[in-house]
Amino acid sequence: MRIRFTRVSGAAAGAVVIAVFALAVIQTAGQATRTPRTADGKPNLNGIWQVTTTANWDLLAHSVRPAVAQPGVYDNHPVLAAPVVALGAAGLVPPGPGVVEGNEIPYKPEAAARKRDNAEHWLDRDPEVRCYMPGIPRAMYMPYPFQITQGTNKIQMVFAYANASRTIYLGAAPAPPADMWMGHSVGRWEGNTLVVDVSDFNDRTWLSRSGDFHSDALHLVERFTPITPDALRYEVTVEDPNVFTRPWKMNMVLYRQLEDNAALIDYRCVELVEETFLGHLRKNQLVKHWEGDTIVLDVTRRTPNGDKRYER
Amino acid sequence: MRRGLKGSTVLLGAFGAIALLSLAVIAGQAPAPRAAAASQVKRQANGKPDFSGIWQANNTANWDLVTHEALPARVMQPGVHALAPVPAAPVLALGAVGGVPPGMGVVEGDVIPYTPAALQKKKDNYEHWLDRDPEIKCYQPGVPRAMYMPYPFQILQGTNKIMMVFEYANAQRTIHLDQVEPYPNDSWMGHSVGHWEGDTLVVDVTSQIDKTWFDRAGDFHSDALHVVERYTPMTPDAIRYEATITDPAVFMRPWKIAMPLYRRLEPNVQLMDYRCIEMVEELLYGNLRKQPLVRKWEGQTMTVSVERRIPPPDILYER
Amino acid sequence: MRIKRQSLAFLGALTAAVTIAVALESVTVADQASGQGAARPRTAAQAPASRPTAPTPAARGTGKIPRTPWGAPDLQGIWNTNTLVPLERPREFGTRAFMTQEEHAKALADLQQRNERPGRDSRTVAGQPAVGTEKDVARAYNEFWFGDKPTKLSMRTSMITDPADGRVPPYTPEATRRMADKREFLAALLQGTSGGKPGPISPRRADRSPDYNLDRINRSDNPEDRGGPERCFGSDVPVTMGTGTFGGVMQLVQAPDSVSIYYDVGQGSGFAWVIPITNRPHLPKNIQLYRGDAIGRWEGDTLVVDVTNFSDETNFRGSRENLHLIQRFKRVDADTLSVEFTAEDPTTWTRPWTAIQELEKADEKTTLVLEGGCHEGNYGLLGMMLNTRAAEQAFKEGKGPDPATQDNATGGGAEN
Repeated sequence: MRIRFTRVSGAAAGAVVIAVFALAVIQTAGQATRTPRTADGKPNLNGIWQVTTTANWDLLAHSVRPAVAQPGVYDNHPVLAAPVVALGAAGLVPPGPGVVEGNEIPYKPEAAARKRDNAEHWLDRDPEVRCYMPGIPRAMYMPYPFQITQGTNKIQMVFAYANASRTIYLGAAPAPPADMWMGHSVGRWEGNTLVVDVSDFNDRTWLSRSGDFHSDALHLVERFTPITPDALRYEVTVEDPNVFTRPWKMNMVLYRQLEDNAALIDYRCVELVEETFLGHLRKNQLVKHWEGDTIVLDVTRRTPNGDKRYER
Repeated sequence: MRRGLKGSTVLLGAFGAIALLSLAVIAGQAPAPRAAAASQVKRQANGKPDFSGIWQANNTANWDLVTHEALPARVMQPGVHALAPVPAAPVLALGAVGGVPPGMGVVEGDVIPYTPAALQKKKDNYEHWLDRDPEIKCYQPGVPRAMYMPYPFQILQGTNKIMMVFEYANAQRTIHLDQVEPYPNDSWMGHSVGHWEGDTLVVDVTSQIDKTWFDRAGDFHSDALHVVERYTPMTPDAIRYEATITDPAVFMRPWKIAMPLYRRLEPNVQLMDYRCIEMVEELLYGNLRKQPLVRKWEGQTMTVSVERRIPPPDILYER
Repeated sequence: MRIKRQSLAFLGALTAAVTIAVALESVTVADQASGQGAARPRTAAQAPASRPTAPTPAARGTGKIPRTPWGAPDLQGIWNTNTLVPLERPREFGTRAFMTQEEHAKALADLQQRNERPGRDSRTVAGQPAVGTEKDVARAYNEFWFGDKPTKLSMRTSMITDPADGRVPPYTPEATRRMADKREFLAALLQGTSGGKPGPISPRRADRSPDYNLDRINRSDNPEDRGGPERCFGSDVPVTMGTGTFGGVMQLVQAPDSVSIYYDVGQGSGFAWVIPITNRPHLPKNIQLYRGDAIGRWEGDTLVVDVTNFSDETNFRGSRENLHLIQRFKRVDADTLSVEFTAEDPTTWTRPWTAIQELEKADEKTTLVLEGGCHEGNYGLLGMMLNTRAAEQAFKEGKGPDPATQDNATGGGAEN
């Protein structure tokens, strides 16, 4: 048999072109490539993730508004109040369509009143202002990234904010001896969905900057489902019979960061907030006065009376 | 000779290709922008990638284009220790909410190549952020800043125009894919003319006034600013956005930023009204009210008192 | 069926070409894994000069090490140690890295004797009953809080394996001066109190600290006066784990592209540390982080972690922002994880030094790694500030002593 050299070599050239193209595609994928599945066949959650929704400001649908408001000239048109007046547009709550199914959080009447009170006093009360651990689900939708490391029997999430972290135990997990800020998470796979049961919370965290709160009876069921190779649908069923009349649900999208240089940098705010919440106890007041072109601010500090003095 | 290439030539070429490619692979560091598998990207009837949809950046570029640590606030004053400043009065009550989160930079080489004089001005801007950043006053953000404000924007891709509408300040820009007259004046959002290079939309942006900043860190430009953007699909739901910035009045050489833009995938996502013009009136004009309105706020451990004043004319009339 | 020769040839060529392509790709990936283009340590911090020749201690299990489903050594688990090893070698061992059996038996006997002493339960000061003295109260914790004392002693004479004497190298003149300045400042603040030299209150009392203060000093003018642990930063990089109840415990979770470690360092303090396995470079030099910037890569079966970009608020035995740490994690056997580190800082030590610690795998059912709510529960810092202000006010009104004459720093110490 005589092989026609030219046709065979033409075919070889074609094959090489295909292979070279395939190699180019593999190589240009770079660090953004992750296999869609882990070695044990589960969806690959490894990476750095962050929401873009405004849920941390307000879980319900909300218009733009001042972060701290006071009455303006009209009753229902508040203006920037003193703590943020110098910040202008940087002192606003951006609008958002809400993340709660049915756009209603079913508070019991007395709890609804407490939420409104919290919202009015959020700067004094929101644990986020003091860089306290954010709890779950709030950690998942803070406007800062977090990194997931998907191990073989645990999934670890480390949050840039406050260096908070959570361990999701896959399978049997020892019960914690005490209530925790970040709760206790036990997860399992249902097909492509990671289902996580979270309990053993204390009552110290909020769900948003709008005063949404819970008791130590809080119980969550989270569902993480990939909707694209780089996005997860994150759904949480919230129940707390002390605070809500029924369970309710929120859902949002988590986006994987695709920069080649994506890295989690520590937002170590414990030190950074000392002036705000301990500055009133300095021997000599430190932050007193600030002048801008059209605004002069004066700060006086004071120690509250009675038990409020010892509040953390 | 029969039809077709000479076998030896083809084989030589094939081995040459392999050799060249392996050299590139071993020598290469940062891979080229990841090109999405051609078939998965949404396309218009003319075969071009269709970028229509709602998009948003997901980084800290609007705080600072270069890599930066966390800070107690953007407005700070000296603390007890020289290297540990504290939040100043305008943000003190906000605690961690007023902090500057850390972030990886988006600038190639992580340095913005200011001329020495311009660097001084940037530092001065940084110190006077609240008085000078146009974002504070809800002014239009210009290009490229509009692309990485932490709010969504919508792309509507027609056949000869692409329109982008930004939730922030209802800013918008039109990218002309067709021939148009040059813009008669300078504007806040500039004049954008685009064309396709394969799957990449290349946009030439000129005619921007000098009043916008690049971020909250005082990075600025002159009216000689020239921006060339490149939008390349990374995945069906992510665009690699690059912008080369040239401004010989401010920078010693052109420099480049790059970042992903992510398609918003929430079913209920929509652009909402970020009507900040009304919201910032108290800041911009509150000092000119007949009666002061915002005077005092009391928290548990602090009272913040506000006095307004009318600045000298050169500042008063400065917008 | 006749297969065309051309098709056969095409398939053959395609197979060959794809094989070449895949081979090239695995070479490149292996290059990445072994650190081509990875962040290199700034100096050639290679293996220490003297390696112990004694058998590897704690070789309880034999056979292959556990591996993850993707083939990497499995470093995962909850790790701590109940085996005492001093960081620095007692001088009597010279350059010997391991004890003899007799020396070990004697050291064990000494340990048992020490464990039986009253320690903090002792209520005498210089032979006199301490009841009612400032020192009695200042001593804070008594022995109950320390739990069961460790009873296991390693055969190693020290964690430090290099330099040859098993001790931290000398400090540079610059570091020596730095630390002397700080000690002088601390002493000045104790002058005239029961914890310091007699005399009047020092005029340095209102001075700023010569360094970013992380020590416990005798002043509470500002939160910054209180030490790192009291402000809930911690003050040490958790490079080595302590032993016993206060020793802490570490959890490690591993994926192909990252290792996520949570250190519970005791007393409610904990830190999460993510080590990306990558060849990206370190953060720019001007970015300073409390626990630095860690980048990991595999060298064979060892995970090598290079950590730079520390800040002036870090303090690792006197080393601050110029600290450079290289850690090596190695799964030795089913029960043991060895963590070796090399520390270098030419502004602090005259040469780099290396130490090793063998951590023991803890039972995951009974050893829990819980969150560290130090900051959230920090009534201590609040109390120090509040009560010092109240004491100053009382003194102003003639109702109490001058708090500046009190020792609120040395904690009384323990005689035994």
